[in-house]
Amino acid sequence: MSNLKYSYYPGCSLHASATEYDISTREVCTALGIELQEIPDWICCGATPAHNVDELLSLSLSAKNLELAEQVPGDMAVSCASCFSRLKFTQHILGKSETKLKLVEKAIDGPVHLERRVKHLLEILARDYGLDKLAADVRKPLSDITVACYYGCLLTRPTDVPNLDCTEAPTIMESIVETVGGTTVPWTHRLECCGANFTLSRPPVVQQLSNAVLESAKNAGADCIVVACPLCHGNLDIRQKEIESIYGSSYGLPIFYITQLVGLALGIPPERLGLDSLCVSPQNLLKEKKLIQGA
Amino acid sequence: MKKKKMHISQETMDVEMVRKVEQLSGTSVRRCFQCGKCSAGCPMATFMDHPPNRIVRLLQLGQWQRILAGRSIWYCVSCETCSTRCPNQVHLASIMDALRKLSWDQDGPSKESYVQLANKLFLQNIRTYGRQYELRLAAVFNVKSGQFLKDMMLGPKLFAKGKLKVFHQKNKNISEVEKIFSRIDEMRRKGEAL
Repeated sequence: MSNLKYSYYPGCSLHASATEYDISTREVCTALGIELQEIPDWICCGATPAHNVDELLSLSLSAKNLELAEQVPGDMAVSCASCFSRLKFTQHILGKSETKLKLVEKAIDGPVHLERRVKHLLEILARDYGLDKLAADVRKPLSDITVACYYGCLLTRPTDVPNLDCTEAPTIMESIVETVGGTTVPWTHRLECCGANFTLSRPPVVQQLSNAVLESAKNAGADCIVVACPLCHGNLDIRQKEIESIYGSSYGLPIFYITQLVGLALGIPPERLGLDSLCVSPQNLLKEKKLIQGA
Repeated sequence: MKKKKMHISQETMDVEMVRKVEQLSGTSVRRCFQCGKCSAGCPMATFMDHPPNRIVRLLQLGQWQRILAGRSIWYCVSCETCSTRCPNQVHLASIMDALRKLSWDQDGPSKESYVQLANKLFLQNIRTYGRQYELRLAAVFNVKSGQFLKDMMLGPKLFAKGKLKVFHQKNKNISEVEKIFSRIDEMRRKGEAL
């Protein structure tokens, strides 16, 4: 148990297509005694489309969220890699440029709060809560399960902005998975892009890039992939079947959110971790590894 | 493929635009010495007509229209690999953002309209609902891009998995979001912001 308290920013995906990430985030935090209080009436951060064509809008939306976060005490906890990236970028850019800061203040008609610390759930688990404590909380170690940890783009890149871990050789996700008893594999594509938001406008690009990620994980001998980003999850999980049929391959790799795997290890009942929402069913794998009941 | 010769002339030079790109992106294109690390690591370089390092070179030469006429900026996926690996702190991902913004404003000759359409609908949804509304985003995109059946097979599966919400998310700050959009519009009309 701990006395950690955060203001929680789930982001749009976690209230829609990545609902299992939201559910499992809350379950894991409750189990560890980490208090998450959702920021009332938070707004969309604008994600990639906003900064792609309108930086001022993107900065203003995130600045508004930082202002809304003032209602809730504590560092800001974010599970989505994209929201996390946008909030950190906003603090970084506005901290450097007085001109942009003035424009954003005018756009949101109020002061910009740059001092609040924005933290991704990975660093809350690994650093604020701590790996030693997490190890002591494990009830069902993920023994025999081989995991490929997939970072994708926005958790670590670029240098100086997210400051979550090393840009070229991060280890934070592996350290969490190993703490809860899993085995991790080295593999080539853990930092490569999955195609991200091109899933709407250019599915063939996503299929090509995500196929390379899946192929690399499979070749490395992984049983499953673990992610901490709703877009990576959508591309690798929802599109996996069609990728298999296009490329004539058979991966069958369940894609877990990090909180789902940690939740299983903490002994949280599987039905409370949103495992049913995964398109590539993890049932066989989890039964085989004796992590869930079944024949 | 026939190799096209690239003609660069002073007439097509637009230094003013390059200054705008530098101002918006907060990075200097003059720092680039063409090592090519950005293009080597770019997952989208194979889809582009001008690879990332050439985009910077064209900017150094003021050849703004040539970039706009190509498709590269609409194939950049914002993975930030280029910015991360640049030895000279050229923030190329931000340069791409600035280029897209300027192209967007000019409604430039880009033929890559699907990405523009997706971005536009995404922002419209935020303005209307305060948060993203995925079902509407996908449905309107399919209608407007004329691909009625695109990803149709995914729909029922996502519904069954509880991933596709029928209604948009409730949010008391919708009017605040609209105000942010209109204040920015107003600032641009007055010439206070780019």
